Amino acid sequence: MNASVKVLLRGSSLLAALIVLHPTVFASVDDAQSFALQAAEPYVKEGFQVREDYWGGDLASGEKKAVRQQLFKGNEYWFWLGTEVERAKISVHIYDSDGKLAEEPDGWQKGHFAAAHVIPKTTGSYFVIVNIEESPEERTHWALVYGFR
Amino acid sequence: MTPFPKYLKLSAIAASGLILCAQGDQVPQHIDIKQLSKTVEDVVVPLPNEIFGALNKLGAVNWKEHVRSDKGTNFTERPRIALLLGTVIADGFIAVQAEDAPTVKEIGQRVLTLAKGIGVGNSITPHAKAIIEAADKRNWDGVRQELDRTQNSVQQAMNEVHDEKLSQLVSLGGWLRGTEVLTSVVSKHFSADGAELLHQPDLLSYFQTRLQAMPEFNVPIIREIENALGQVKPLIDVGKARIPPESVKKINEITTRLGGGITTRD
Repeated sequence: MNASVKVLLRGSSLLAALIVLHPTVFASVDDAQSFALQAAEPYVKEGFQVREDYWGGDLASGEKKAVRQQLFKGNEYWFWLGTEVERAKISVHIYDSDGKLAEEPDGWQKGHFAAAHVIPKTTGSYFVIVNIEESPEERTHWALVYGFR
Repeated sequence: MTPFPKYLKLSAIAASGLILCAQGDQVPQHIDIKQLSKTVEDVVVPLPNEIFGALNKLGAVNWKEHVRSDKGTNFTERPRIALLLGTVIADGFIAVQAEDAPTVKEIGQRVLTLAKGIGVGNSITPHAKAIIEAADKRNWDGVRQELDRTQNSVQQAMNEVHDEKLSQLVSLGGWLRGTEVLTSVVSKHFSADGAELLHQPDLLSYFQTRLQAMPEFNVPIIREIENALGQVKPLIDVGKARIPPESVKKINEITTRLGGGITTRD
């Protein structure tokens, strides 16, 4: 077998191995972000400006993460959470600086998408709690974007 | 796509952040915030127009009187350019509020020049073009979106080359200019709700911590800002009390002085 054929075969084997690997091996926070942005899409038509910046990371099933965000009274905010793990169940909730649930009742949770709506009663810091409630993966990427109007 | 360094940063943030225990399907009506992390590392610094939007809802604001279109000084020190860049982007948001298309276009050009000055011009060129095109069409939402994208792209490009500190100075420059305008508007037509928009103690602490970690930036304006934030902190960190008119005026004096320092040579 000449060298070029060997290289080709080795390359093909590698490609085959890559194909059979689970897709999440290649997944990243970027993928999670694209799902979070997908959840945000319908709200843009309602006048929400979705921020380019976002939070993200990975969590085990059953783990939560708290992030702190400055919100301004007078504005209305939606936070959208997404993950690329389709069989995951995720949620997002918002608490004020006293630890009291501060969100509107129209937040939602649909599998690997979730959203929370807040109309701040005061200007200040709020806590956004991200939760990977269930996931078949050991670590689940998540991304949180927000919009305001 | 978010570049790998940003992914690393995000993963580090996630790893260093607080991991809470799962609490099942029921949403708790109350959580113990003392258990939550005291750091604000995860904070996304609000855009100036997030504050301007809230301010607008309190009553008509004459945005035209806050529009600033002078080109400012050309600096060579990268920290100074970064601060100025954040300020100019904030000026872009003010010009959008005033629906001043010529100024928005000038600012689009200025942003590009400054971005080139710190070596991230390539990532900004399409945004600068988009800002100018949207301003021509008077598509103000489009300009706002592009200004946000511009800031994000600048910061992402800086993070890629491990210039996170410069990236933080961009945010700080924008925040200072936004606060200068906010306090100017509220000082002229005081309202408790307007003053309440200054209640941002965690954000201020975030900037203080970042500045303290920049001893290598031997630029007087950086130290001046660090000292000034120490003066502003007790004026806005008032808990549930109201921020009085004299505090708003004082913060305006401080941020106006800093604004002058950012845009002009020492």
